[in-house]
Amino acid sequence: MAKRSYYDIDDILAGQERVPCFLRTDLDGLGSAGSGGGSSKVHRNTRWTLPYWMADRLNEEDYLDMEVSPIFAKRANRMYAASPESMQLRAICQHYYQFGLQLGEMVPEIPHVLYNMYMTRIRKVARIAQQGHNVEALDFVQSLDKMEARMLRLCQQAQGAIIAWQQNRAYALKRAAVIHD
Amino acid sequence: MAVTSRQREGFTMPELEYVAQCESVTIVPLHRMDRLELVRGTVGPFRPPQKTKVPLWLAVMLKRTNRCRIVAPTWLSFEHLRDLCKREEQPDSLFTRLPFHYLEIAHIILTHAEDDLVDSQGIRRLLQDLREVRQSKTRGGMEMLNPLQLQMDNLSAAEINEIRPLFRHSFDMLRQLDVLASATEDSRQQQQQQQSQFGELSYSEMDDVIGSSYPL
Repeated sequence: MAKRSYYDIDDILAGQERVPCFLRTDLDGLGSAGSGGGSSKVHRNTRWTLPYWMADRLNEEDYLDMEVSPIFAKRANRMYAASPESMQLRAICQHYYQFGLQLGEMVPEIPHVLYNMYMTRIRKVARIAQQGHNVEALDFVQSLDKMEARMLRLCQQAQGAIIAWQQNRAYALKRAAVIHD
Repeated sequence: MAVTSRQREGFTMPELEYVAQCESVTIVPLHRMDRLELVRGTVGPFRPPQKTKVPLWLAVMLKRTNRCRIVAPTWLSFEHLRDLCKREEQPDSLFTRLPFHYLEIAHIILTHAEDDLVDSQGIRRLLQDLREVRQSKTRGGMEMLNPLQLQMDNLSAAEINEIRPLFRHSFDMLRQLDVLASATEDSRQQQQQQQSQFGELSYSEMDDVIGSSYPL
């Protein structure tokens, strides 16, 4: 698994995405940990969805077979390649890129898919940031995942910083409130 | 030390303005003054009306107390900026040569020494135009992003600072994708399958330099 920032919250959250797994052993007492399990015993050869961080580790220990999440399945990848700009990434997966990077070792097409998505969308993000408030782009802005949204905010701040500074709004020396005459 | 999120992504404009004030400008002093021995060097005796070179911060200080007149730098004239604008607007041109801190120096001089400039309104307009053209060119630079190298000469400090968060993040992302792609390609080659489409991107040297000598 790619070792990125261990302490990065977004990374941790991205790893929380569930992936389908195929159990190879019986698990006692853990039925309630999976989705919709009522009993406390889970038999082998059942399908289950687990968070990626858990499934990856158990996969290495051969307790289960991890399968590709539907987010990066073949059909989904074809859809992403076809129209990257109209994808609703926030609905699909809020940490799309980071999750993709984590799954990258399993699915060889992921680097290519992510590259396409990222390049087209980040260009649009940069354009939107430079144009200021733009009503037509509202749909696109609402479909950004967390990382792209953060990029948009940073770009807008950087834009605004130069303008504010040029209008002498960047800083002002004022008398502190605690000083009384 | 507490660092705001704005400061983590680069410099703030007041910081860049502060750094820009180390550049030297020519002034015409109005009063006699003896030599000043400062940390960075000596600022020669002021004998009006001889022109002297001083750091910008000192020029601003003297100007505010009416002890000097600032001589506009050669590039900060209406004609020169208009020529630069024309050259910048030509399609497929590279960035024109401008001083590294041109935005900051221009702002400082326009704020404090506007009367020493000829046609300051025109200069303001031209600077704005120049900035817009250069901005659209940086967006064109985004199209050419790759995990190895992107060279954009003659960007100024403020412009680099503006694009820093986006470009830095893009480089990181592209590099991670590149590492992933070469890792999977190696495992594929081991299984003797055909090469992935990313063949030309998986070099072993990673070098991303935005080609002005600004230390990032």
